[in-house]
Amino acid sequence: MAAPGSAAQTTQPLASVPDRAEPATTVSGVPIDPLYTECNLEPLDGRRETQLGEPGCYPFTRGIHPTMYRGRLWTVRQFAGFGTPKQTNERFHFLLKQGQTGLSTAFDLPTLMGLDSDSPRALGEVGRLGVAVDTVDDIRELFQGIDLEKISVSMTINSPAIVIMAFFLVHAEESGFDWRKLRGTIQNDILKEFHAQNEFVFPPEPSVRLVVDLIEFCTEHVPQWNTVSISGYHIREAGSTAVQELAMTLADGMHYVEQCLARGLPVDSFAPRLSFFFNAHNDLFEEIAKYRAARSLWADLMRNRYGAREESSLKLRFHAQTAGCSLQDRQPEVNLMRVAYQALAAVLGGCQSLHTNSMDETLSLPSEHAVTLAVRTQQVLAYETGVPNTVDPLGGSYFVETLTEQMRREAEAYFEKIQSRGGMIRAIETGFFRREIAESAFAWQQAVDTRQKIVVGMNAFEESEEKPCDLHEVDPTVEQEQVEKLQSLRERRNATDWQAVLDELRRVAAENRNVLPALLQAARARATVGEIMDALADVFGRYAPGGESG
Amino acid sequence: MMTPPGIAPRIVLSKIGLDGHDRGIRIVARGLRDAGFHVIYAGIWQSPEAVVQAALDEDAGWLGISLLSGAHMTLVPRVLELLRTRGLDNVGVIIGGIIPNDDATKLTELGVKGIFGPGTSVPQIVDFLRTSAKSAEPADLVQRFVQKDRRALSRLLTLAARGELPEAVLRETRASVNNGGPRTSRTVALSGSGGVGKSSLIGRLVEFLRSLGQTVAVLCCDPESPLTGGALLGDRVRISKPAEDMGLFIRSLPARAGQQGIAEHLDVMMELLQLFGFQTVILETVGAGQGDTAVYGLADALVVLLQPETGDELQWEKAGLLEVADVVVVHKADLPGADATFSQVHELLNLPGSRAVPVLKVSAAKRAGLQELWDTLQGVPQRSQRDAR
Ligand SMILES: Nc1nc2c(ncn2[C@@H]2O[C@H](COP(=O)(O)OP(=O)(O)O)[C@@H](O)[C@H]2O)c(=O)[nH]1
Ligand SMILES: [Mg+2]
Repeated sequence: MAAPGSAAQTTQPLASVPDRAEPATTVSGVPIDPLYTECNLEPLDGRRETQLGEPGCYPFTRGIHPTMYRGRLWTVRQFAGFGTPKQTNERFHFLLKQGQTGLSTAFDLPTLMGLDSDSPRALGEVGRLGVAVDTVDDIRELFQGIDLEKISVSMTINSPAIVIMAFFLVHAEESGFDWRKLRGTIQNDILKEFHAQNEFVFPPEPSVRLVVDLIEFCTEHVPQWNTVSISGYHIREAGSTAVQELAMTLADGMHYVEQCLARGLPVDSFAPRLSFFFNAHNDLFEEIAKYRAARSLWADLMRNRYGAREESSLKLRFHAQTAGCSLQDRQPEVNLMRVAYQALAAVLGGCQSLHTNSMDETLSLPSEHAVTLAVRTQQVLAYETGVPNTVDPLGGSYFVETLTEQMRREAEAYFEKIQSRGGMIRAIETGFFRREIAESAFAWQQAVDTRQKIVVGMNAFEESEEKPCDLHEVDPTVEQEQVEKLQSLRERRNATDWQAVLDELRRVAAENRNVLPALLQAARARATVGEIMDALADVFGRYAPGGESG
Repeated sequence: MMTPPGIAPRIVLSKIGLDGHDRGIRIVARGLRDAGFHVIYAGIWQSPEAVVQAALDEDAGWLGISLLSGAHMTLVPRVLELLRTRGLDNVGVIIGGIIPNDDATKLTELGVKGIFGPGTSVPQIVDFLRTSAKSAEPADLVQRFVQKDRRALSRLLTLAARGELPEAVLRETRASVNNGGPRTSRTVALSGSGGVGKSSLIGRLVEFLRSLGQTVAVLCCDPESPLTGGALLGDRVRISKPAEDMGLFIRSLPARAGQQGIAEHLDVMMELLQLFGFQTVILETVGAGQGDTAVYGLADALVVLLQPETGDELQWEKAGLLEVADVVVVHKADLPGADATFSQVHELLNLPGSRAVPVLKVSAAKRAGLQELWDTLQGVPQRSQRDAR
């Protein structure tokens, strides 16, 4: 295609169009050769056995299961949450009826920041981007009528993750579910908040300690629970390249592993329950290479650096979500196509579960119609395209194997860079990750502004008439309803109970003991998220956003 | 009136509410700097009160707010309302984020000048800001200054920064405020290499002084691009809190290349802040090198910051900046190597027969050494008294 401008140009036969003037690069700016051949694989010679292997075998480049989707399809897991717990509960039941096989919870910003719905800082944000949760009673309403021994549940929350986990466990206990049978995931990945998403409360070190507390407790008492979802998704959304996403995510994983080892946990006790969460962006082959490289890098690290012996410790399992940042608010229906290709990348890359974005997500919370189409996108992929019929269909491709190897090497170079900056915590404190991501984000924006990169409907193929989508409206009474419910609870509960429990929590936190048992007590006493987080902040302090602006 | 040529427009950029997605605002900040704007980045998690104070104290023509949280109908009207009650109607508000059409219409009716959705390019924003009209200069500045109108202070500082404040106005201001009475306020300058933690330490000092009930004004210098005249001024983020505090005044200043890391006309600006009644005035230089001694003489006390060094030998020489320091701080004392650096500096500066210079270990991160630093600073005589000696 020549420089795009009008749809009419696309009627030219492709063969008659000369090479494009600008060099072909991936979405991350990596140059791509016009042709890949056997020669490209030479650097891999002698290492093919160790770098590629068979599906289900070390280093798992080709997938973590020998049969992959022949055995079992990926889990369709759509992120949902808005308004009151009751409203989200209704959406959960709707999604299950649509054929979704797992639940995924979005919390509102006040909850994510550890604030109660009646905090002055929460004004206008209660129940807006997710569900509002203040106490264990809200968790009960949220999962009303859902069999937690059957349906796996994912909860996207980080700084207060351990508090919400305590609420969840108390709810399970009070509803008669066996902790040992609970299946699900809590994101519990604070490091990427410091790199990218800015939802943190405490300084990096005590924040990581809480992550490890959760891992330690669940390893013993909730053995089927995925204790962390080590996330590159948000790093990518903040503007990183694919390699940065890969490298920073694995580096975060390494830091958690090292902290767990320092706590004295045997590596094979907790490593099998670490999971990952990656972005599925626009560049099909780059994304596929990213997932394949991730698996082999992790297997190598776990076996050779951390001495894991169990096969389940070596396997990188991951959830993927299509790239929210790739969605456009103009011609929103075009987002359906973007999402479909991104989902294809995730599946060709061997994901274990997948969220497909709804086309209207840049405009508002998704409408039911848009959510349904997003789920259907996965169903078409699963049942009509034939893609799941064979394992790692692109394995051995000159191009994909070359890209995969390139990714591995570049990620390893990044690990070195982090080390040379004094390790994870120092690199956070000096703003290393944020600067790296900001550079990439700026480079991308410039490429789009100068039309070196084309975004359909945005800087090319624009349409003058915009058809508005049917939008989901947030109910304006949610905030009031949630606040009233919370305040009536504050009046009802026994004041001496929850205050004594919080004093105990402060003690445990200060003494460096695992805080989860004290949090279970706090949950039972109906202490709120905000009260608990404030008590922890008394001990840990609060962390101000760095604000490196360069 | 259009912005006069040669004077970079000032814009405060900030995020209000809880959402921390700062990809967009950081790109805009950089893009506007490259387009020649003076951009004051005020950070995330801000309250409407705090961003309005930033616009006021920075004498910004524009206030750019980004929010993706969906809380815009709660928070933005509050910002507009505050701007009005503070008499800042001349500040143009622009919004970036996901704003549905209906809300956009309402916000425009309420006074928002521009709304930029997810697909906006930086050049679009630049064009918009360049072509939009700005209101006229306010009158009666001196009289309003005397009546403690913060807008007048803010505007006088802007005029001073540009070298456009007539000497007569300054004299008039001086005369009407204190009639030549003795000065009770103190001034402190902090210098040292970029990244040594000047802004962070000032943030802690401010916290400390505010807890004593003292009012503080801070002038922070950041580099201006010699090519575009633009600047991205980010010190404010490390110093201010997300809430309003009228006992604290922060002005971010671009410093031209070749000015030894300080903005021009700082003496006049510091005097104005003292005349307005701030009890302590703190000056932060751009990351300065050993030869950048121009800051000497601007404040009662000059604090030079060093940080623990990894090499065996201290990289600094006594000649230059260290020679004129009143206090030397080995900052980031929480890091390994602080003790070694401390001994080396101490040795270097306190040779027998030379002027004794206090050397202190301080850590902004751990809030350590602040009291001692403050006590030491108070022991340094006011510059006017020293000059008289
Ligand atoms: N370890 C440590 N790091 C600090 C301390 N104070 C500031 N920093 C870090 O040093 C870097 C530069 O700080 P900043 O205040 O912007 O320095 P400035 O350029 O001198 O104003 C930031 O990454 C801070 O987080 C401290 O007391 N200890
Ligand atoms: Mg600074």
